[in-house]
Amino acid sequence: MVGPLWFVGFDSLMEFVAFFIALAIAFQALKGYRLTKQKTLLYVNYSFALLSAGLLIDSLAGFLGILSRMLRGVIVLTLVGYTIYFLAQVLAYAILIFAYVSQTRTLSAKSVSVLVAPLAGLMALQQGPVFPIKLLGPLIEYHPVSEIVLLFLVFYVAVQTGLNYSATQDRNAFLVFLGFLLLASSHLLFILTPLGPLLFAIGHVLQLLGFVSLLTMLLRVARVK
Amino acid sequence: MTQRLPKYRSQMRIYVDIMRVIQREENRAKPTRILYGANLSHDRLVKHLDELKSLEVIEEVVDEDDKFYRLTQKGVEFLNQFRAVERFATAFGFAI
Repeated sequence: MVGPLWFVGFDSLMEFVAFFIALAIAFQALKGYRLTKQKTLLYVNYSFALLSAGLLIDSLAGFLGILSRMLRGVIVLTLVGYTIYFLAQVLAYAILIFAYVSQTRTLSAKSVSVLVAPLAGLMALQQGPVFPIKLLGPLIEYHPVSEIVLLFLVFYVAVQTGLNYSATQDRNAFLVFLGFLLLASSHLLFILTPLGPLLFAIGHVLQLLGFVSLLTMLLRVARVK
Repeated sequence: MTQRLPKYRSQMRIYVDIMRVIQREENRAKPTRILYGANLSHDRLVKHLDELKSLEVIEEVVDEDDKFYRLTQKGVEFLNQFRAVERFATAFGFAI
């Protein structure tokens, strides 16, 4: 059990809602790609399709875990769900970062290092003898190390979208920036969960709010005047 | 800076620029207005107008020896869809 007892099930429910939002964004990006053949939109599609798949699997694993609470397989189920969600997120954000890097066409050593730094750091930590920093093992669910990797990746995307907002002053750009900022904050709180289970609940609320912000942007852009 | 403009306009962007000029001219634009509005050479304009006609998004109208271009219903719908996609891409910081 990672979060507070009263929160059991709410995390899965929130992820299930976020799944639909991520799917809607993936669909809009695909529609855009079909119309314009712009590759960056295809990357956005891949990214959010992966996120939606991860969210669905993790939320379903959570629901099934609640249903089969009495069974011994419950922990394995939620761990497998989270592992798939974690890998989906890493891939999704890496694709999004690649889209930003490829657009600016400056695939410098610095850009690449920003992308691979968290992964290299993770591999280095894996060599360490200290138990809590081992990623692989039974403590993978909302483990600080996996969440640190995600925080790095989402933070990079948040910075890119923030720069875009500062340049355009567009409300939709602000909503995207806010969305990724909230997602980054949620991962920060997941890292800090060992300090208090309530942080886990707040992290999930922030994660959902991040997706709601992206949904608001989607509804605004889809509205044809 | 994330929203760097591409060095060259894509074919899609040129099509949209032409169609937007026509729309701006209250759906009745002379070739000269399109030429200046979309910033194209004469040869390229003729080529792109033919392509857009074959896609059935614009149509040519001859009225008292004057030649005009106007958007078809399909063209209007395309521009609406493109506007939504453009706003979506811009929100993420991607240029089309």
